[in-house]
Amino acid sequence: MQGLTRRELLLAAACWNEVLHAQSFKYLDAATASEIEAIAEAILPGDQTPGAREAGVIWFIDGSLAGYDKDKQALYKKGLAETQARRTALFPASASIASLTPEQRIQLLQHIEKTEFFALVRRHTVLGFFGHPRYGGNRNGASVKLLGFKESMMYSPPFGYYDREAAAK
Amino acid sequence: MNAVQYRQSDEVDFVVIGAGAAGGVMAKELSTSGFRVVVLEQGPYLKAKDFTHDEIDVSFRGALINNTAKQPQTFRKSADEVAKAHDCVGYARLVGGGSVHFTANYWRFHPEDFRERSVLGPIAGSSLADWPIAYDELEPWYTKAEWDLGVSGLAGSNPFDGPRSKPYPLPPMPVKRSGVLFERGARKLGLHPFPAPVAVLSQPYKGRAACTHCGWCEAFGCEMNAKSSTLAAVIPAAEKTGRCEIRSGCVVSRIETGKDGRANSVTYFDANGREMHQRTKAVALCANGAETPRLLLISGIGNSSGMVGKNLMFDGNAYSFGLFEHETNEYKSIVVTRVLHDFYRSDPKRGFYGGGGLDSRMDYTPAAFALDALPPDGPQWGAAWKRSVGEYFTHTSGVLGHCSCLSREENNISLDPELKDAWGLPAMRITFRNHPDDLKSMKFLKDRELEILDAAGARKTWHLPIEEITDSVHLMGTCRMGNDLKTSVVDKWNRSHDIRNLFIVDGSSLVTSGRQQPTETIQALAYRAADYMAKAAQRGEV
Repeated sequence: MQGLTRRELLLAAACWNEVLHAQSFKYLDAATASEIEAIAEAILPGDQTPGAREAGVIWFIDGSLAGYDKDKQALYKKGLAETQARRTALFPASASIASLTPEQRIQLLQHIEKTEFFALVRRHTVLGFFGHPRYGGNRNGASVKLLGFKESMMYSPPFGYYDREAAAK
Repeated sequence: MNAVQYRQSDEVDFVVIGAGAAGGVMAKELSTSGFRVVVLEQGPYLKAKDFTHDEIDVSFRGALINNTAKQPQTFRKSADEVAKAHDCVGYARLVGGGSVHFTANYWRFHPEDFRERSVLGPIAGSSLADWPIAYDELEPWYTKAEWDLGVSGLAGSNPFDGPRSKPYPLPPMPVKRSGVLFERGARKLGLHPFPAPVAVLSQPYKGRAACTHCGWCEAFGCEMNAKSSTLAAVIPAAEKTGRCEIRSGCVVSRIETGKDGRANSVTYFDANGREMHQRTKAVALCANGAETPRLLLISGIGNSSGMVGKNLMFDGNAYSFGLFEHETNEYKSIVVTRVLHDFYRSDPKRGFYGGGGLDSRMDYTPAAFALDALPPDGPQWGAAWKRSVGEYFTHTSGVLGHCSCLSREENNISLDPELKDAWGLPAMRITFRNHPDDLKSMKFLKDRELEILDAAGARKTWHLPIEEITDSVHLMGTCRMGNDLKTSVVDKWNRSHDIRNLFIVDGSSLVTSGRQQPTETIQALAYRAADYMAKAAQRGEV
């Protein structure tokens, strides 16, 4: 690795990661994945802590639709088509959900937030964000960064602020 | 240790159907009394090392529970409706059963639970009845269960409890933040909170290590064997006798009876789907309050009263939350550390039957919390919602009310006329609608919960909706215990009125639902019935 700075090395690693991902969807095609990821990111957006995209929620969704939630593929197809139709009606000049501005995306999702499709994407987004990384999501310590604690097999009292009150008695 | 393996043609002394809270106790008590026992369990035989903190696998994909894709259910609210496919009944499906994944609340029923019909009189629209036994008859077996399995608690701390012959074997678990806040609020209101009795080891006990407070109790199996499931606490002792064989992955399809009307063998599909027949002298049916009546109905036995499957009772809940200024960190340690029973007893002045026990908890794992538990008036997705999830998860405490459920003959488990399961057996059909008083007691408890959270200093409170129950994990009442052959299925010793070598020991024999948390009563009945069965068998009277 001579001649590469640390920054370049990290960049290379990141690109390699992208390449790996692009090759390893089990069910989704890249275009559909990008649209669903845009919805997931609007549901659970990145700010000071990772959002759905950085957490790799799309990899959880892909894995689920290829396996455990195979029977939900039709709902995704139908729901996404309806959402696209809605997008075209709302924003005729737009080309995709991913290319909408964040404000437009929120506006679009407000139109579909009562649908079965939205409820399912929301559920999958949450599971992918908080679930065990072995299912493809919860990357980059996403859930730990949002919740502010790290899992342990062992804790000792006092467990929290209010225990002081019990100890004082 | 080489586990014993019986042949199908060996006539064993007892076949136990279901290795759960009751079946595990049966296995140990009967085998240590010298009997040859085969336990048939439909689920897998997992050990502590197989359990995980995997929320997706366990909470959202049902790794430890019944799989309704293979064992579908139908549900309707009354007999004039056509039942539709609906996941209604949930139960743990593995060796150890519900005792593996339960919250581990370990409450005795109160003395008045056994004679509410006499005290309160008849209640319109309900089949409320007295038990054929009194609290005093069950008390030694409550004590036996607590000492044999390992229970932590503080005797005498609940002023509403019945008399006890012995304290708990282990001191209470350390209090959690939810417990401190609950105690603060409850004391301000003049109520009587007490340290929760739980089937979790606060100290090492009988060769098992104490709890390390990892926080993954409810719905999960304990990786430390610190939860006193039958899997951790008694099944090893049963196997150690060399007389008890645990046969997992076996789905029982029929209890066979001979011309003499006695049970003589059990037919089942083994893990490879082969149909097998285990010969036996007697049967202990411990398959839970839903599968037990289903199996009796499929087998066409034990139902001269017509009461098999009837009087189904479910759990009723009221769950409220409070947001607190400082961190509560409820993700650490066991679920419940404080309880109160001030509203347990039915009080005619309230204008409805029932009441409940309250416990302190915030038992949501992160994904479940983000999906379902935030205040309904706030955002449910987007940036503001995400911030709430981050803040609320570590700053929320809650109170859960466990409410009474009145028995109604119309509520039942029956066989679906069309639908079959993956083994070709008739699917379970559930008919259930709450008595109006059930909902009144839930609403009543919800109001008490919010008062306690307010008194504890919550900055904001909210609650889950109070609704008619359409799914449940506490399955009770469907093979009612009683003296009258016309209105009950088993006698006071859990013995079938019709088939004298068949014992039915699980939630199905419960006459009333108490205030939920039925596991200790189910297990006390199991210890008592096993003692009776062993003595009767030794006399040649089974």
